[in-house]
Amino acid sequence: MGNKQTTFTDEQLEAYQDCTFFTRKEILRLHGRYRELAPHLVPLDYTNNPDIKVPLTLIITMPELKENPFRDRIVETFSEDGQGNLSFNDFVDMFSALCETSPRELKTIYAFKIYDFNRDNFICKEDMEKTLNKLTKGELTPEEVTLVCDKAIEEADLDGDNKLSFADFENMISKAPDFLSNFHIRI
Amino acid sequence: MASEPQGQGSGNCFPDEHQSLRFRRVSSRVSNQNYPQFNWNSTPADEDGGGDSGPRRDLKSIPLPMSLKRAVRQVQQMQVPVVSSVESWKRKKSKSLCKLKNATREFLYFFELWSKSLQKIGGNFGGGVQSYFLFLRFLVVLNFVSFSLIAGFVLIPSIIFRSAGSSPVNNTGPEACMEYDPNPQGLVVFYNYFLDLLSGTGFMEYSYLFYGYYNNTMVEDRNFSYNIPLAYLFTAVFYFAFCLICIIARMGTAARVAVATGGSAVGNYSMIVFTGWDYGCLGDRATKLKQKNIHYRLQVDLEEERIKKQAAALTLCQKILLYSLRVFMFFLALGLIIAAFYGISEATNFSQERSDEQGILGLIFEYLPSIVITTGNFVVPLLCDQIALIERYTPSTTIIVALLRAVFLRLVSLGVLLFTLWRQITCKGDTNNKACELCQYNHEVYQCWETRVGQEMYKLTLFDLLINIAVLVLVEFPRRMVVDNWSSKLAQWVGRQEFVVPSNVLGLVYGQTVVWTGALFCPLLPLINAIKFVILFYCKKITLFYNCRPALKTFRSTTSTFFFLVVLLFGWGLATVVMIYSLAEIRPSMGCGPFRFFPTMWSIVPTSFHSLSETTKEFLFFIGSQAFSIPLFALSCVVMCYFIALASVHGKSVALLRAQLKLEGRDKQFLVKQIEELSRQL
Repeated sequence: MGNKQTTFTDEQLEAYQDCTFFTRKEILRLHGRYRELAPHLVPLDYTNNPDIKVPLTLIITMPELKENPFRDRIVETFSEDGQGNLSFNDFVDMFSALCETSPRELKTIYAFKIYDFNRDNFICKEDMEKTLNKLTKGELTPEEVTLVCDKAIEEADLDGDNKLSFADFENMISKAPDFLSNFHIRI
Repeated sequence: MASEPQGQGSGNCFPDEHQSLRFRRVSSRVSNQNYPQFNWNSTPADEDGGGDSGPRRDLKSIPLPMSLKRAVRQVQQMQVPVVSSVESWKRKKSKSLCKLKNATREFLYFFELWSKSLQKIGGNFGGGVQSYFLFLRFLVVLNFVSFSLIAGFVLIPSIIFRSAGSSPVNNTGPEACMEYDPNPQGLVVFYNYFLDLLSGTGFMEYSYLFYGYYNNTMVEDRNFSYNIPLAYLFTAVFYFAFCLICIIARMGTAARVAVATGGSAVGNYSMIVFTGWDYGCLGDRATKLKQKNIHYRLQVDLEEERIKKQAAALTLCQKILLYSLRVFMFFLALGLIIAAFYGISEATNFSQERSDEQGILGLIFEYLPSIVITTGNFVVPLLCDQIALIERYTPSTTIIVALLRAVFLRLVSLGVLLFTLWRQITCKGDTNNKACELCQYNHEVYQCWETRVGQEMYKLTLFDLLINIAVLVLVEFPRRMVVDNWSSKLAQWVGRQEFVVPSNVLGLVYGQTVVWTGALFCPLLPLINAIKFVILFYCKKITLFYNCRPALKTFRSTTSTFFFLVVLLFGWGLATVVMIYSLAEIRPSMGCGPFRFFPTMWSIVPTSFHSLSETTKEFLFFIGSQAFSIPLFALSCVVMCYFIALASVHGKSVALLRAQLKLEGRDKQFLVKQIEELSRQL
């Protein structure tokens, strides 16, 4: 049943299967989803690896991402140019890292990058305040926000530099029971 | 896989003159700002170490963009011809094995029950509600599979031997005890069939549904013998063992996650901030509620901190008052529960005494114990909630206390029902009582007591389903229509139904415990229960999507699965106690059933034992003797000690590594300060 498709060569599908957690059927389905974001931009035939990128504004209209407060950061993290324009490679990569079978270590690495707003490889207080504001959409008062951020840094910071490095973040995530099931986009 | 984000991060705090230090620390060619460094040198090392699956797994879990991963893969593939032929054969084999595994996984997804519905539920209502439906699905599968055990070993042989016309073994006994006439006399009004269906009497009583229909046929052919009573007994015992193994296997996976992550995380702000958002959340309404939910959780934690501060600031006098109030409320709650138990026992007595009433009134009398149990299970937790308001525990403690009370109420009320039945059947255990003297059980009221117990369990199961459907139709749908269409203050205050996970799960556990208790006396009950749970799944799904709003107070999904299974084990324990007591202590009815001529149900085992061959007997005696069991016991103690030691060693090494992490962080800061000082001096 898979031999009739002309979107990818067998070699390409094998490569995708080896590099992601998806099966053949799922990769073809993902290509369908990618194409319906911009049908005039994305060709049906990917056998010669066209260099097409779908812009950020179209990607975040997907129903899986539309309501996520971190949608901009997610798409930016997985894009090669850092501006949020995804090629099909990046698109598949994004959903593979966030899928159910993706391991905890991989998800932790990407979660750290998503929450690091200023991309300095540390989650500092400003990053955390932005995260919290996006989470609660301004329902908390500024004092409560500061209080929660202070407490959160106090709990997770191991080396005492008042910001979270990747090691601190990873240590804190390893104790969170819901991380794997929450950090998972179903597609 | 190596990731060194610190390599570039710490470089940013340096003054410009020492950028050379930063460049010296970078060890990879990929210096893209967005991605952690990937150590290209590690790839050939991984290949030499493991088999074919090693590099493939690594590729999937490497945090690199796809184009780089494909480049790595090409490099790996170009390196393949360098290995020997044995290696390449091994790699080909493991590659095809991987493909086969993927293909079977895709095929099995086809058979997974309700996976799309569960996905939709999880996306719209969160992990807590989804864990309830996952638990329900597990129980459906468990009931179906365990029923196949019963069907294969008891039901089908019974059908075959009955249709083959093999005659039951005859024996002598007191005439009065062997009387059993379940078939109704004369003309039966048509609606009686419906009443009989609901209460398991009449045409349903003498059927494969209940214990009384099975015969004590012992077929012995030339090279084939089948002993129905023995099969019945062993099937019941293995049914319990099989359910226990399934539950423990499922607990294993849940426990692993719960232990590794250290259990409760109350007041853990960083966890809520970074792992609180469910990325699988779909829909506008669900997202807004998710935000409210996170806001609520943060507020709850802040509130708990405030309460703790308040509690620490209480004077001695206030503390004494609070504790004495709590003790008083505890006794009040206990008193309410005991009142419920008394009500159940009285209702059971009354129902058994008036068991020969006909018509609708008779039906109500038959269902009286079920009605009282359900009312008790509904009213008492409500009152306990009000009591909890006075006790003023922290919110998390309140939830746990309420759950424990509800579990206690449900399981012990079932136990009270069974105890009352036992008292009536065995005349309170006193064999010298006039009614029980002849047959050692009350043969006047209970010609076939096992069937009667089976009928009680059957009625409980059916009533549970009917009540659920009735509540759905009569309470939840109207409530939604009133709230949606009538815009008054009262309607808005009442609001839409909330899907409360804990009480629903307790309902499932209660239903399953009833089935386990009744499985010995009503062999088809697991099948009926499986069908009931399937109907319940669809009813709950409908009510969830049409009538409910997502709960503001969430129930955490990972530790909650483990908790549900622990409560299920309590129910299993209660049912096992009942089964063991019925097997070993009470005399089986002489008028019906496969055990009618044995003093206890268990005594068929020694009887058949003597008909085994000599070598088998010797072997079994040896296994049961001290020479075998004491070394076995000692060996299992040693194995258990080994695992406990291993677990404690792992725990200690985790603590050590954590401390080491802290120290390394401090070392890094110290070195950074030193370098700054040196650079200032230079």
